[in-house]
Amino acid sequence: MTDDTNDIMNDAVETTAIETSRVTFRYGSGGDGAARDEPTRHTALHDVSLRIRPGECVVLCGRSGCGKTSYTRLVNGLIPTFFTGELTGTHHTADLASGSPVDAFTPIVGSVFQNPKTQYFNADTTSELAFPCENMGMPADEIRRRMAETVRRFGIEPLLNRSVFRLSGGQKQRLAVAAATMLRPPIMVLDEPTGNLDARSIDELHDMIARLKESGTTVLIAEHRLAWCRDLADRFVVFEHGRVIGNYPARDFLVLSPETIMSMGLRALDIRPYRAVVEAKRQTSDSLHRRDDETASAPALRTRMLRIGYGRRPHGFRPFGTRPKPGDFLRDVPDLTLRAGRITALMGGNGTGKSTLVRTLCGLLRPIGGSILWNGRPVKAHALTRKAFLVMQDVNYQLFTDSVREELMLGLDENDPAVGKRCERLLRDLDLETLADRHPMSLSGGEKQRTAIASALMCGKELIVLDEPTSGLDRFHMRQVGLLLQRLKRAGRIVVVVTHDEELAADWCDDVIDLDPVETSSSI
Amino acid sequence: MASHPLALDPRTKLFMLLLANLLLFFHVHTHTEIMLVALTLLPMLPAGRWRMALRLGVTYAVLVAVSYLVPADSPNPWLHLLALLAVGLRMMMPCFITGAYAFSTTRTSEFVCAMRRMHVPETIVIPCMVVIRFFPTIVQDYRQIRAAMALRGVAEGRFALVRHPMQSLEYVLVPLMMNAANVAQDLSVAALTKGLGRPGTHTSLTMIRMRPLDWLTMIVCATPLVLDIIGVL
Repeated sequence: MTDDTNDIMNDAVETTAIETSRVTFRYGSGGDGAARDEPTRHTALHDVSLRIRPGECVVLCGRSGCGKTSYTRLVNGLIPTFFTGELTGTHHTADLASGSPVDAFTPIVGSVFQNPKTQYFNADTTSELAFPCENMGMPADEIRRRMAETVRRFGIEPLLNRSVFRLSGGQKQRLAVAAATMLRPPIMVLDEPTGNLDARSIDELHDMIARLKESGTTVLIAEHRLAWCRDLADRFVVFEHGRVIGNYPARDFLVLSPETIMSMGLRALDIRPYRAVVEAKRQTSDSLHRRDDETASAPALRTRMLRIGYGRRPHGFRPFGTRPKPGDFLRDVPDLTLRAGRITALMGGNGTGKSTLVRTLCGLLRPIGGSILWNGRPVKAHALTRKAFLVMQDVNYQLFTDSVREELMLGLDENDPAVGKRCERLLRDLDLETLADRHPMSLSGGEKQRTAIASALMCGKELIVLDEPTSGLDRFHMRQVGLLLQRLKRAGRIVVVVTHDEELAADWCDDVIDLDPVETSSSI
Repeated sequence: MASHPLALDPRTKLFMLLLANLLLFFHVHTHTEIMLVALTLLPMLPAGRWRMALRLGVTYAVLVAVSYLVPADSPNPWLHLLALLAVGLRMMMPCFITGAYAFSTTRTSEFVCAMRRMHVPETIVIPCMVVIRFFPTIVQDYRQIRAAMALRGVAEGRFALVRHPMQSLEYVLVPLMMNAANVAQDLSVAALTKGLGRPGTHTSLTMIRMRPLDWLTMIVCATPLVLDIIGVL
């Protein structure tokens, strides 16, 4: 611990918002208490002492599983009441001691979580905002007054009265922040809130938090992407293996060298150099596409005048022509050439149709117009599903069997020695050998990704698409994904990565395609 | 989602659902059933669900026609089977119609508010809320899993589910359940930190009120059933 912490510790006159003294916590073995994304084998928090003053904005950082998420759970009362386990030491959030019921923390701590999909409870936005107030038993007039105030404060009028299912990830996350502030809690806790957001959504989230900070709210952000919150933070607390290994005032932390930051497993403090590299790659790939020699020998996937989209009913009867309906999505895609042995990053903001494009390239959606050529020949959607593989953002959907080896053998002849040999070689190549008999669901996120990719290579897929493979990953795990991409590249596959991650694109991808905002779309 | 002047209270919708079930229970005459179906289709129109009303109405009409048109003394056993099927489906249609109306035109918050007004205990309200919240998630998950299966070449195509039901079920259910466990944990955490489990009164922003139209709808919809039971119709 640095001297600075001791200064704060000695400063007893100052009131505290959060006070943790020598807390050690180990998740219980009971199923629900064990956090799925963290190794539960060792202690989640180890002798953690922290004191946070009211109105401070503290960024808790460190690599995945370092204890930063566990600390946020301690602050909002989920530990040890919901996530049970052994807790020693004392912790107070405002006047509440650890072990008080989670409900008691509701008016004091507002919480925002990592996954935009699963952190709202109501199907429409207005009910979601009202929800915490309703649970506190506030009269309807008061709820309405607060809602108007919150909407004004964060400028989120466009989000009112909408179905939450139709919001983008960024909009959902803004809604989550707004809902968490409805009770005007003095403390806000955000656990990797930008996990999967594009640059614009991150800016919007940043501005919301800036406003919270101005109003004197104590803000805790657990995060390893530091670039977006560097100007918000008053203090950076670095966790490793459950311990606090550094406690820096912002001015001391921001001058650390990029190498030091990287060695802590953190993402870059300054994203600008990466952004410049991405831009340069985008320009060279642009001219590459224009030159586009049809005679190139490497196998390639090309698109010609491709128009992609989906409707609420994609192949439904349209008596009034093909006019898209509300909720439909339609766009034209500039001609692309994706070559074997190259890694192409597909970038662009939310809602530009990146996912629709890769689903079309994988044959999961039919093109609305234009054509897709495989080695110069037009190819149908069902043929593409045989050649292509999509590693989904939520890789849990793609694992069907009860061991890694079986996962690779799925649909293949297990008695064929050649197949068995290929399986063993792939297991070795992708460092899955020691995991071969494990249940896929017991693996970490990265191991699951590798298993899914191994299964794709097993069935001889030539186009491998990864959808946001690094969302929520720290520096170390991002590098592992990067190495995996390189391996696929060397194996002569066409590799496409859909990503917002500028660090990944700059360091590990060969080409960058930026899908511009949609012009022909009528998406609502 | 402003309340339409002709929109009904969730309690009225639940009452209509109850009526549809009683219809089955009392085994009423077909003309009583037709009357009630016509009455229950009506509220869909001001709710903007005319397409749904049309579809359900046409389906019901076809089923009625089939069940009447097949002559009782027809020698063809297949026709009898068809008629039997049509009658069975027809008798369930009132439940489908009222159910579709209730669930497509009511927000979760309205249902919850209605249940609390009816003094349903929280131990029932909260699970109901969670179940309603879960449905759309499962639909989305299912689509993702089918896509993943197509890419792996397992149980591809439209008829795979019919040809290998057990195998396909396993491939769908395993990831679905694994994911459901994660979603359930995330949702619980989100709801708990927002005070869902707090003791004491929970208020509601959603205004639900029984209006004259609600009482009128309930009386009008109940009339054919009552008349049928006492033997007037």
